[in-house]
Order: sequence, then structure tokens, then C-alpha cells
Amino acid sequence: MLDHVHPAVTAIPIGIAFGIILERSGLGDPRVIAGQLIGRNFTVVRVMFGAIVTAMLGLAWASAAGLVDMGSIAMPPTDLPAQALGAVVFGGGFALAALCPGTACVAASSGRRDGLAAVAGMFAGTALTPAIWPALAGFVAEVPTENATLASDLGVPTGLVVLLITIAAVLAMILGRGLETRASVGSLLRLSTPESVALALAAAFALVDARSTLPAGRTGAIAAEIAHEHDHVDALELATWIREGRAGLRVVDVREHLDTATYLIPGAVPVDLEDLDTLRVRDSEQVVLYSDGGAHAAQAWVLLRVRGIRNALVLKDGMAAWEDEVLSPLPPATPDDSATVRFARARALSMWFGGFPRLVPVDGAPVTRSRRRRTC
Amino acid sequence: MTPRPYMDGARAGIALGLVLLASFVLAGRGIGASGAFAVAAAPVAGAVTPGSVAGSTALSDRLPREFVPWNDWIVLELLGVLVGAGISARLSGRWRAATNDRTAGRVSRALAGGALMGLGARLAWGCTSGLALSGGALLSTGAWLFIPLAFGTAILVTMLARDPSLGT
Repeated sequence: MLDHVHPAVTAIPIGIAFGIILERSGLGDPRVIAGQLIGRNFTVVRVMFGAIVTAMLGLAWASAAGLVDMGSIAMPPTDLPAQALGAVVFGGGFALAALCPGTACVAASSGRRDGLAAVAGMFAGTALTPAIWPALAGFVAEVPTENATLASDLGVPTGLVVLLITIAAVLAMILGRGLETRASVGSLLRLSTPESVALALAAAFALVDARSTLPAGRTGAIAAEIAHEHDHVDALELATWIREGRAGLRVVDVREHLDTATYLIPGAVPVDLEDLDTLRVRDSEQVVLYSDGGAHAAQAWVLLRVRGIRNALVLKDGMAAWEDEVLSPLPPATPDDSATVRFARARALSMWFGGFPRLVPVDGAPVTRSRRRRTC
Repeated sequence: MTPRPYMDGARAGIALGLVLLASFVLAGRGIGASGAFAVAAAPVAGAVTPGSVAGSTALSDRLPREFVPWNDWIVLELLGVLVGAGISARLSGRWRAATNDRTAGRVSRALAGGALMGLGARLAWGCTSGLALSGGALLSTGAWLFIPLAFGTAILVTMLARDPSLGT
């Protein structure tokens, strides 16, 4: 990436090439865009899907080959309600002008008056956005989601998304030929060379991506889950689940050097970290991983998550928390209603699990928490 | 000079895809258009409704004041678009060749359409270039919501509000 040079070095040549291609393909002519919107002329679909698929496959293969770091490429943010409303407003304007912001500039540069008018309208609409904003605030998130991809949001491999988009693009091209020429079905299904190459590259990428352990672009989504703390459960909650006999609960102990005398959380099954690679997890299960302090369990969680297993949680603070909060819960130092209710719940659970709840101090001497072993 | 015929759409698409790929790799970002309007219009927007832009993160992120247009990538890129399209139009005999571009109806539709696109693109974090094209190639969830909704609405509005000067 050329980030040590003035932005003009990349911006101007790329912009010029963009402008030439839009002008040559006819997208600066509102008749071409209107023709697409009534299904008569498929130039817009060919240019847009052709470009999306070309760039997408180029990036997919370049990142698979280690030539491009997907994390260094800025991505538009995602805020679905705002973008849905924006798409509808934009689509209405797109239909009226029969130009989009980029092609309006091309039309203006070709000396078209409607192009100039659309550019002026764009400027006015953008500048007046704050005046309308209070009416829209309910649709808009203050902070949008960064780096949301179809793969991370739908929980499917990137390669599969790439393949499906390529197939959709080829189908759109075939539909375009059908509506433009009314040719026979047999001749429509004959793919052009670029279409065949794109499908082959997409299918091969899907295979490569399915085999790789850490597909490009998926780590960001995992990081977001960790940051939002969607990845853990606390000890009291786990104890409640075990006591309730929650269906599909599978507690996995990933501590090292376990022997028959080691205390395990009731119902837990020990699994070596090395065996996580092949651990089979059904979709209906709820896996909870724990270790002494939680670090090993958290690492195990990442291993499973990278394998595409989404139904795993980490026991927060591990065995140390289980001992402190479930087996020997401490009465609250300054009892208020919520702390007392929580302690009563913990004491009941502790008794059920055969633990020893600590007593309320009678002489006022502070009862300190047992020092947690902060190992892995 | 009679205008030359337009280039084949699929070939133009591949060429545009290679330009987009070059932009991702060299500039670390996709190509766009409405973002340049946001940078250019932000000072005006602040003057029209003082206080409102600064009062909302969602709005100030969409109308960023901190960019200097002549140092800003997206503004420079759109200047490149204007230059490239202008040169291409002259070389292919399409400079001021249009005859359907100046009726009152066509100009007012373009003006109103432009204004709606300006607002819609700020709401959606981009337009057909920056969001649909660039975000689409990056598999952005927001982009793939925008593409069917924007085109679906545009098809519906075209059917309901036909424009004889464009043959619809």
C-alpha cells in the first residue's frame, strides 16, 4: 500500500481511469441507466457485477496467496436500518435522475445539462442533510458496525459467499441476454469466457477457503465477539444451568495434568487442548469451556470459533471463580437487597453442589476472599 | 463528429474491477463518489444548520469537517473522474452531443433526484460506487442490503414515474 505518498498519487490516476470507463461504457447517459431500470438494457448490471466479481475474486486470491492484507483495506460501515432507509431514498433519486452520483459527474463532464443539475442536486441534498436529520434519528445508530461481512454475519465461510455472489452475477448476465435478445434458452446458457473463468476461480477459492484454518477476513468478526463479551458465562449462571439440567449443555475441562483425584465441575468432561481440533460439536449443544483461571479456556474458545463452532462459551475466571462463587460463596460485606438476594441464590447453589458457603462475620472482622490461583 | 458506440458492458466491468482492485491494493480503499460531496458540502452543511452537525456523532461522521478537500483522497479521486470522463467524452465525440438533456422536465428530475441521492447516500454510508461497488466487492453486509433495496426502489419508481425524454 502506498501510504507514504500524497493521496493525489493514487487518487487522481484511479479517478481518471474510473471516469474513462464510466464514460466509455455509456453509464454517463441517463438513457442507458433508465433502460436498465425498465429491463431493456443490461449495461449497468454488466458493468457493476463485472466489476464487483473481478475485484472480489482478485482480492480473494491475492489474500489467499498472502499478497494483500484484508485488514488494511477500509470497508464501508454497516448500520442496517439506516442503510435500508438510505437505499430507498437513494433508489428513488437514482430513478428520477437516471444517474448516480458518479455517473452524474460523468454526464456533467460530457456537457450534459441534466448531469450538471444532478451534481448540483447532490451537493444540495448532502448539505441539507442536517436539516432533515432530527426526523431520521430513530433509524440511525450513533456508532455503526465496522467490518461486518456477509460471511461473519451469516456464519458461513468467505469462500461460499464469494462463490454464491459469482453465481448470482452470472445468472444476472444470462437474464440480461435473455431480456435483450429473446434468444433460445440453450444459447443463453452458453457462458462467455470471462463468466466461465470467474466461476472456476470462485469455485476453486471456495475449496481453498474451506480447507484453510484461518480464512482471510474472519478474524475481525471473532475479535468483535470477544470485545462485546458475547463469549463467556459466569460461574453462578453455569451452576444454575447444571442444576436445571439444561438440554444440550456440555461442560469441557481443558486443564492440563488432570488425574482421577482432581475436582471437576459436575458433569464436565476433560478434553486435551490438542484434541480440540477434532472435537465434534452438534449445533444443538451449548459448550462451556473452563480452565484454572480462564486463559487456556479462552484460547480453546478461539480454536473452536476459528473452526466455525459458534455455540461455545468460556467460564469467566475459570475454576477459580467456580470455587469462589459457587463452592464457597462469600456473604456481602455491605448487605443491600440485590447483594443479599444474590448471596442467597449462591448459597442454595453451593449447598446443592456440596460446597461450603462462608458464614456471615459476627465479630465484624473482614472476611477476605480466598486468593485466586491465577494460572492458566 | 458522430459519437462512437459504447464499449461492451462486460468488458467495461472487468476493466472497472481491475481499477477497483488497484485502488484496494494501492490506496487501501475502494473507489467512491458521494463521499467527495460529503467532504465538499460539510462546511456548507455546518453553516446552514449550525450546531446540529457537531451535536450528533452519527451526523458528524457522515459530514466530516476535518478533511481538507485538496488533500483528501476521495475529493481528488472524483476530480480525476471529472477529468477522465471529460477527455473520454471529447475523444469519442460525445461532448455536448446529447439533445435530450435540457428540457425543464429532465433538468428538474435530475436536480430532485440528485438531492434525494445526496440525502440517501449520507444515510446509507455511501452510494452506488462507494457502498454498492466497493463494499460489494468486500462482501460488506450493509452493501449487500443496499444493492437490492436501492435497485428495487429505483425499478419501482421508474415504472411509476416514466420519463418520455429517456424513452421509458
